[in-house]
Amino acid sequence: MAHFDTEYQRLEASYSDSPPGEENLLMHVPEGVKSQWHHIENLDLFFQRISFITLHQKNGFTCMLLGEIFELVQLLFVVGFTVFLANCVDYDILFANKFVNHTDSSKVTLPDAFLPVDVCTARIRDNAFVIFVLTISGVFWLHRLVKFIYNVCCYWEIRSFYRNALKMTMSELPYATWQEVQARIVEIQKEHQICIHKKELSELDVYHRILRFKNYMVAMVNKSLLPVKFQLPVLGEYVFYTRGLKYNFELIFFWGPGSLFENEWSLKPEYKRGGNRHDLADKLASRILWIGIANLLLCPVILVWQILYAFFSYTEVIKREPGSLGARCWSLYGRCYLRHFNELDHELMSRLSKGYKAAFKYMNCFLSPLLTVLAKNVAFFAGSLLAVLIALTIYDEDVLAVEHVLSSITLLGVCITICRSFIPDKHMVFCPEQLLRVILAHIHYMPDHWQGNAHRSETRDQFSQLFQYKAVLILEELLSPVVTPIILIFCLRRKSLEIIDFFRNFTVEVVGVGDTCSFAQMDIRQHGHPAWMSEGKTEASIYQQAEDGKTELSLMHFAITNPQWQPPQETTHFLSQLKERVHREVTGHTGDTHQYSLSESEPRSLIANLLAGPSTLGSVHFARDASLANHAATAINDSASALRSLSPVSGSLYLRGSLSAVQRGHTSTISKAMAGSGTDARTVSSGSSAWEGQLTSLVLSEYASTEMSLHALYMHEFHKQQSRGELPRHTWHRQDSDESSDSIPDEVRSEPPRCSRNLPRSHTFPTTAPSPSDIPKSASDTSTNTRGQEGFVRTARVPMGGWADDSQAVPRYPEPLPEESSDDEMPPHIHKVCPSMSVIFFLFFFYCLYNKYIYIFFFF
Amino acid sequence: MNCRSEVLEVTVEARQVEESMLALLHTILLHRSTGKFHYKKEGTYSIGTVGTQDIDCDFIDFTFVRVSSEELDRVIRKAVSEFKDALSVSGSDGMGQICLEFYQKKKSRWPFSDECIPWEVWSIKVNVVNLANEQERQICREKVGEKLGEKVINVVEVINRHEYLPKMPTQSEVDNVFDTSLKDVQPYLYKITYQITDSLGTSVSTTVRRLIKDTLAL
Repeated sequence: MAHFDTEYQRLEASYSDSPPGEENLLMHVPEGVKSQWHHIENLDLFFQRISFITLHQKNGFTCMLLGEIFELVQLLFVVGFTVFLANCVDYDILFANKFVNHTDSSKVTLPDAFLPVDVCTARIRDNAFVIFVLTISGVFWLHRLVKFIYNVCCYWEIRSFYRNALKMTMSELPYATWQEVQARIVEIQKEHQICIHKKELSELDVYHRILRFKNYMVAMVNKSLLPVKFQLPVLGEYVFYTRGLKYNFELIFFWGPGSLFENEWSLKPEYKRGGNRHDLADKLASRILWIGIANLLLCPVILVWQILYAFFSYTEVIKREPGSLGARCWSLYGRCYLRHFNELDHELMSRLSKGYKAAFKYMNCFLSPLLTVLAKNVAFFAGSLLAVLIALTIYDEDVLAVEHVLSSITLLGVCITICRSFIPDKHMVFCPEQLLRVILAHIHYMPDHWQGNAHRSETRDQFSQLFQYKAVLILEELLSPVVTPIILIFCLRRKSLEIIDFFRNFTVEVVGVGDTCSFAQMDIRQHGHPAWMSEGKTEASIYQQAEDGKTELSLMHFAITNPQWQPPQETTHFLSQLKERVHREVTGHTGDTHQYSLSESEPRSLIANLLAGPSTLGSVHFARDASLANHAATAINDSASALRSLSPVSGSLYLRGSLSAVQRGHTSTISKAMAGSGTDARTVSSGSSAWEGQLTSLVLSEYASTEMSLHALYMHEFHKQQSRGELPRHTWHRQDSDESSDSIPDEVRSEPPRCSRNLPRSHTFPTTAPSPSDIPKSASDTSTNTRGQEGFVRTARVPMGGWADDSQAVPRYPEPLPEESSDDEMPPHIHKVCPSMSVIFFLFFFYCLYNKYIYIFFFF
Repeated sequence: MNCRSEVLEVTVEARQVEESMLALLHTILLHRSTGKFHYKKEGTYSIGTVGTQDIDCDFIDFTFVRVSSEELDRVIRKAVSEFKDALSVSGSDGMGQICLEFYQKKKSRWPFSDECIPWEVWSIKVNVVNLANEQERQICREKVGEKLGEKVINVVEVINRHEYLPKMPTQSEVDNVFDTSLKDVQPYLYKITYQITDSLGTSVSTTVRRLIKDTLAL
């Protein structure tokens, strides 16, 4: 026993697992979990939140939260006040139909008109409808409250993510763009591995995760799978696609009970196999039926909910896009139809907002002469009456005390306002074709048959499906609880087999992302359309081809908005080929032998080329602008000023593009595309020096959108030629009418005044003294480049005006100029609307809406 | 989900279920366990040793290696026997699935409980067959042994890849990564769940969760 002990004695002596001699050698240093941001469970949700917050916290978290708190208070107020007005006010006293027996004075005070509390509560208690509304509002409010608290937690989490992982301070956050944040996310993946499947995260992965389901919806609309277009007996083809319907679609496909998706990132395995597709289709059909019936039963609840929701969403929408204040807006269907694959909400909204003005003008081209005549006469009579009444009032204000005089003055005023909206602007020129092209430059998609048919009312009607009246939108939303179940039960159910097939055929599993829509891969080979420049590269059958060149345009768009993205080999090839082609067109026809070569076939954006190359484009513009920029020279680094001065240069570049396009059948529309698309960098800098840091990315994104416009137009033109196989029409003669129609400010028509106007503006720059070193440079640039200068002076006018003209449309612009500022040709109360009989009724709606959108809810 | 998932599929006889499951689970855990950490000074630690043990199966011609930790074995055995019982009780065609999920804990602030975020999930699908006579059983015995051997190699291949593993924690965080309850070995935090047949199971709960999340979404 004793010698056994000796054998094992050493262990007892020092009880340690590691041999004593090696203790020092086997020391490990734990890396520790440096941050909590490694390996995030639900990346979809996480990225969605980041993108949402990046885009919506313009003034920091406090403002964002405060805004939400006030929204909650607003809802309480609206509901409470409406109930109060309906139940607790004695209108007889207010209208003086009943007299109050006051002892001391004869004056009626406001509290006199209020009913006593007990009467009031009794009235509310007896009214079942009010109780019903109040209950739902209460639930809704509680829901908002819980949501708010939940959001605060999320904000807090994301905030610490920004701080600790992305290393962004709270002060620089309001100026960060999505692209910057995304670049940082891609960067930190290498360190923290927030996604564990891959070492590196690509931009496309991030987009796929954020837009997983939206890409499906876009693809389904693109392939006309969803029943949103209907042939109605009177109205003809009608598009009905509301929030409620969309919600139901998503419920059925993506996350409802027994939906096609198992969880947020994967389709159920049985739907991936083709074996029992008929069974699955039957199952889906019965589910749709049940959901439809549930919708039908819950109809009244949904209706009230809808109204409350509309109240909130519209306040939010108006905050987000000032363009939506107008009479028209892009419809939900339009947003789906016009959306690229992998396009975030803010990217879509920014280009649609840019197209808003042109679209509005286009719709205004169609005013029926009959209505104009009627409106003119009604306005005449109403105007005479109004004038008399006003004149009498001025003479003696006692006239106002006469019963109904004040109200008739108001009504007549409204009447005249409405009538005036039917009377076309005397100076307006009918040029729908050009307008449609400008629109196309922003919206990037349109059906083939619109081209050349822009003046026809069919085209207009179809366009109005994308760009509808706000009032119609609201009406549709209100009808939606009734219509949605009908659509679900009778239309969607029939398509269940197609839907099953769609999800099976167009779902791919991407490592590190999960199941995504294969269209969103933007693979030309799989989904390209031969008529859209991918001839010979695509192997897609007709079923697989995306319509309207969606794959190609989406690819182009994604590559331009994300220049860092490394596309696969073939895609790179396609992109570079296309860019080369466009650039060749751009340079080919100008004939001026500029030292600037644009035929570089890198998959990087033109902008990057522009910035990378030493800017020897020292035309007169460069010179002038450089000197202009020098006023701010101390604060701005070189690259920023170079950027700023590049803006007109690239403008001229695009104009050269447009010149060549003119020969190919365009008129100078590309230049007008420019007109809508850009913010002038100088406007930014002259506004406030605080935004200098953001300038680079801002200008870059503007260039990107302009470049995309150019490519979109080019591709459409190419497609047109290819599909028709005929020579392009020469439309030289249109240029004149075009010039006059588009409101180019006078200042850009002639060069010298513009120059002189710009210079005074510079005194708002932070520093006023021009740096002396740059003036000689600009002078020498002017002298050395006199040869090339000629062309620029002539061509750069239009885009210059354009850039200055439309600066409000930038979404990330820190202090957006109000939309109204550029709508100077329209007095604020006049809506130019196209006549159609149904519209008259709605006019009143959006008159209310225009002035104070809130009142419309009182109206209901 | 932000985690890797591996699927293994085996077809065995009813009496082999327990052993085959033990073999696979132990094989995986062998590679996902370390010795106990002994934190010494500021920020350093040494790793204790891990013993291994060969286990011969009774019903399969197979020998596997497992961590020689009775405690761990007891835990796994318990889970597997529950699974086996559920499988025999269910009386279905003998389809079942046992999941070994490795996860990390993430400390949350007060109102919420700690999040468990899985980073690797091994699903072992079991197909139970009934055999008619002894000869077939004999064949099956060998076959299953071979198959399990393949699976083990498969597991080792997967584990050999350079893929995400939680970083080695500091002393305060060690409970978030490793299961420190055992005396002699320290596997990554794991969870064993099982499921009999492909029931609808998951969809209802995910829908409810999704519904709540969606209404609360931004």
